[in-house]
Amino acid sequence: MFFHIVLERNMQLHPRHFGRDLRDKLVAKLMKDVEGTCSGRHGFIVAITGIESVGKGLIRDGTGFVTFPVKYQCVVFRPFKGEILEAVVTMVNKMGFFAEAGPVQIFVSNHLIPDDMEFQSGDIPNYTTSDGSVKIQKDSEVRLKIIGTRVDATEIFCIGTIKDDFLGVISDPGATS
Amino acid sequence: MPRRRDDYEDDDVEQDEEEEYDAVDEEDEEADDYDDGGKTKRKRTRSDFIDDYAEEDDEEEEDDDEEYGGGGRGGKRHRKAASEFFDEEAAVDSDEEEEEEEGEDDFIDTGADIPDEDDRRIHHRPLLPREDEQEDVEEMERRIQERYAKSLNVEYDEEATDVEQQALLPSVRDPKLWMVKCAIGREREVAVCLMQKFIDRGPELQIRSAIALDHLKNYIYIEADKEAHVREAVKGMRNIYPTKIMLVPIKEMTDVLSVESKAIDISRDTWVRMKIGTYKGDLAKVVDVDNVRQRATVKLIPRIDLQALANKLEGREVQKKKAFTPPARFMNIDEARELHIRVERRRDPATGDYYEKIEGMMFKDGFLYKNVSLKSLSTQNVQPTFDELEKFRQPGETGDGDMSSLSTLFANRKKGHFMKGDRVIVVKGDLRNLKGWVEKVEEDTVHIKPNEKGLPKTLAISDKELCKYFEPGNHVKVVSGATEGATGMVVSVEGHVVNIVSDTTKELLRVFADNVVESSEVTSGVTRIGDYELHDLVLLDDNSFGVIIRVESEAFQVLKGVPERPDVALVRLREIKYKIDKKIFAKDRYKNTLSAKDVVKILEGPCRGKQGPVEHIYKGILFIYDRHHLEHAGFICVKSESCMMVGGSRANGDRNGNALTSRFAHLRTPPRVPQSPMRSARGGSMNFGGRHGGRSGGGRGHDSLIGASVKIRLGHYKGCKGRVVDVKGSMVRVELESQMKVVAVDRSYISDNVNVSTPFRETSRYGMGSETPMHPSRTPLHPYMTPMRDSGVTPALDGMRTPMRDRAWNPYTPMSPPRDNWEDGNPGSWGTSPQYQPSSPRSRAYEAPTPGSGWTSTPSGNYNDAGTPRDSGSAYANAPSPYLPSTPGGQPPMTPSSAYLPGTPGGQPMTPGSGGLDMMSPVVGSDNEGPWFLPDILVNVRRSGEDSSLGVIREVLPDGSCKVALGSSGNGEMVTALPSEIEIVAPRKAEKIKIMGGAHRGATGKLIGIDGTDGIVKVDDTLDVKILDMVILAKLVQT
Repeated sequence: MFFHIVLERNMQLHPRHFGRDLRDKLVAKLMKDVEGTCSGRHGFIVAITGIESVGKGLIRDGTGFVTFPVKYQCVVFRPFKGEILEAVVTMVNKMGFFAEAGPVQIFVSNHLIPDDMEFQSGDIPNYTTSDGSVKIQKDSEVRLKIIGTRVDATEIFCIGTIKDDFLGVISDPGATS
Repeated sequence: MPRRRDDYEDDDVEQDEEEEYDAVDEEDEEADDYDDGGKTKRKRTRSDFIDDYAEEDDEEEEDDDEEYGGGGRGGKRHRKAASEFFDEEAAVDSDEEEEEEEGEDDFIDTGADIPDEDDRRIHHRPLLPREDEQEDVEEMERRIQERYAKSLNVEYDEEATDVEQQALLPSVRDPKLWMVKCAIGREREVAVCLMQKFIDRGPELQIRSAIALDHLKNYIYIEADKEAHVREAVKGMRNIYPTKIMLVPIKEMTDVLSVESKAIDISRDTWVRMKIGTYKGDLAKVVDVDNVRQRATVKLIPRIDLQALANKLEGREVQKKKAFTPPARFMNIDEARELHIRVERRRDPATGDYYEKIEGMMFKDGFLYKNVSLKSLSTQNVQPTFDELEKFRQPGETGDGDMSSLSTLFANRKKGHFMKGDRVIVVKGDLRNLKGWVEKVEEDTVHIKPNEKGLPKTLAISDKELCKYFEPGNHVKVVSGATEGATGMVVSVEGHVVNIVSDTTKELLRVFADNVVESSEVTSGVTRIGDYELHDLVLLDDNSFGVIIRVESEAFQVLKGVPERPDVALVRLREIKYKIDKKIFAKDRYKNTLSAKDVVKILEGPCRGKQGPVEHIYKGILFIYDRHHLEHAGFICVKSESCMMVGGSRANGDRNGNALTSRFAHLRTPPRVPQSPMRSARGGSMNFGGRHGGRSGGGRGHDSLIGASVKIRLGHYKGCKGRVVDVKGSMVRVELESQMKVVAVDRSYISDNVNVSTPFRETSRYGMGSETPMHPSRTPLHPYMTPMRDSGVTPALDGMRTPMRDRAWNPYTPMSPPRDNWEDGNPGSWGTSPQYQPSSPRSRAYEAPTPGSGWTSTPSGNYNDAGTPRDSGSAYANAPSPYLPSTPGGQPPMTPSSAYLPGTPGGQPMTPGSGGLDMMSPVVGSDNEGPWFLPDILVNVRRSGEDSSLGVIREVLPDGSCKVALGSSGNGEMVTALPSEIEIVAPRKAEKIKIMGGAHRGATGKLIGIDGTDGIVKVDDTLDVKILDMVILAKLVQT
């Protein structure tokens, strides 16, 4: 799920940036530092949309660095248990398949793939129904439900299922190409 | 118990005699129990023991009658009873419930269930023909009810109160127990002898009882009031050694006579293991138990050598003793028939099932059904493994296997298996499939809070009926079994088995729910055995090598260094020779020197297109770690030639061992400099920091480490980089880059020679300040610290080497050039770059903790030569001075200043001929990787978010960026690229090159050979053959 929230961060700025465009530098640095990171609480920080406030800088003894408390608005993406997501399959193997929804990697175990879908090894490993009508392979788009998440410092890993109503392939690259 | 006590109140001497028997012989005691249990059994009891105790029998009968009639017996008995019966009862009580459940089809159907009679009744009942009693039943029932109606209540009440039970415990006034040594193996004999003696001698023997315990060798217990009585009693007896008579403390007396309750009684569908014979250690399933004969029928996977069996049947010569045990496999009846073994098909009268009978062995569905003694089965800690259970399930047996295995698994549960808050599911009984949470755990019962509405708040359920329950998506940790320690997420639950996707290996694990606990921690399980740790590069017995990609309980999985195909071997600890820990370098396809941690892209082979940092290098084989590669824990093994370095080398410092490369190592300082503030300081401050360290020498010791960027090379945080924030003794506190936290690690765990070591700025600055006589110079100095990173600085080099020199120096003369200059990196700022140069050796300064030595050991020493002429330079004269004071340890001022001097490319023109300088110059000029780009060379432009593309530099802009024409021949679109985005494409043999550093900078030539890191170049202009480092050679694209 995406959220638009306000976060705060203490930015350390090198003295060489002090000047007219200090604020710009600060924002640029903030974006560089923060966008694309991941925190367990808020999920992935997708984009910074605005700066709420920049607090008073505090000069650090010795280093000359200045610490600014910066409040910024950002869009975060945090997957939740039970959430339905659409994702692109990145890898298929006999244990299941991996899909990505933006920065989030989701694993769908073969236990969580409908029983009528069988793993077919070969050049393009895939899961296919017995009648061959539905096929999950690399680059397929699937709709899945997240049943578990694990949050690390740098990534969020989810386990999903397509063993439910209205879940499964939503576009078949084989069909379109 | 009080009832019994009353009964015994008026015990007489005769009874005493009998009691001795009780004590001495358990059977007799049993008999007594039956008597207590009910009149009905008296006869039975008698019939059992009548032969042995013919003498006493009549008395006994009488006594019993008296007893039940409410007559009292002697106090002695009661005292003994106190200890004895108390224990007995305690041990048995717990079974009571079960017994009731069983619904004994006893003829005593009301209230007469006396707790202390269960097992034995079962044993003895069959011996007694029921018909005998039949007519008496009603009469008996009446009598029993009469007797017990009252006492029953008392009895249960009594059980309820601990206090009364306490009263039964021996006190100081009771006779004591003495432990007497006797011959080993003669314990029983001695006890019986004592008994005989008592019978013979009567009351003059003042001991109360003698006890021999089966589990205690070498000692018997004698109950008596005084030690002297014991001595008296054992006097003149064989096999007993009264030299040492020990008193058993009152507290321990009860323990002596406690009956160990047999925890698991073998019942149907229990998993057991065979203790002896061919099947020793094999898993077996109990199909039938005969408690009377102490035998059980078990189901086994047969280990039968059919050929040998056939030979035997045909009377042929049979090998006496087979050295091997036949492998376990299912019996194939047809196979047996083929060998002309007679197979009978029989119906088991009891169960109605058909069995195939071969040579007295019964088979069904391929399993062997074997009748064995209960003693030959082990029921403790059976813990069937997953494989074994799977095997048992094989032919036709479906889901029920799972359930049946539960009973044993449960029996083997550790104490405290359930904890408050655990999520559980009821697997047996009426409440089956009820889910809930554990609220409270008592001995055998678990109070759960059910998940359903309309049920009481908590339910008490036997722990045997409960099973842990997990839902898909839970994050769990395996706490026992083969995969112990692994963590993962539950993907599905099949009855008692949960499937987990391991966090680290992304593999599927199948484990019992019992072996799993919920946990948020992330581990891969064991990560090391002995000296070897996960992801180590090891040399194996057969001189092959590989990376440990997984650590199992006793072995490693090693991805072998075979680049053609992934080859994983299971390797035991002893098969590993040693860990390969050397820093080795390899060349990529374009002859770039690769070292560990460089990011490479695989250009060919099965893993083409994958990209990741090099983890290990050995014999030209790279092990690359690609996070997105799921097999082999992300490791890919490739030939170094099939890879291409992406970005710059990261581990410059690491290369120092290699003299040749080290000199130029810094030439290729990675363009991707991390952006963290600490890092940004790195450019110049290193230099100063180093100096600072040198000056203060040992005094500050570890302080030089503070602020340094280090890499943790061992332990939990292995591989993490961070900045040292504090040093305390042997511990170093490191602020991790990847996680926002500070961790304390052992000093020995960190390697601080990471190229990015950053001493804190503060010292350096102060150092500078105080030592600088020329204040103004400080200002410009500072900016210098950063230009390393600021690529803006780059182009200046050009200027410096060439006529621009003057200009370069100009800004210097005023001493404090406008700040903006620095920021923008205009050529002016470059003038100062010489000052800057010293930072080139800085990385070295770092590696050697004492920077002082670092300076000298590195090429910078050579700069002195270059520096010397410099001194005369007027502009220069100013420059060195600020630095002079900073000379480490009284070395000639030259040393530090040299650090600056070398930078001045101007120096070179002055001593054009010097070969030494030739070699030096690239170092000098090219500290910032930028400046050495020249037009018309082939480069790789790598921009973030895009693939790298070839291009030809057309123009070098003053700010260091280059105009690059894309395409290998430079006819594509023109782009402007920052130096950090540009990499030089190393030329190959026989290609035209442009020399980008050294005295010949700008000259073109032809690469006529490559020798290691050196290229043999024929310079076009002079037709001289020069040996130059490959790093300063770029492929020339002529237009």
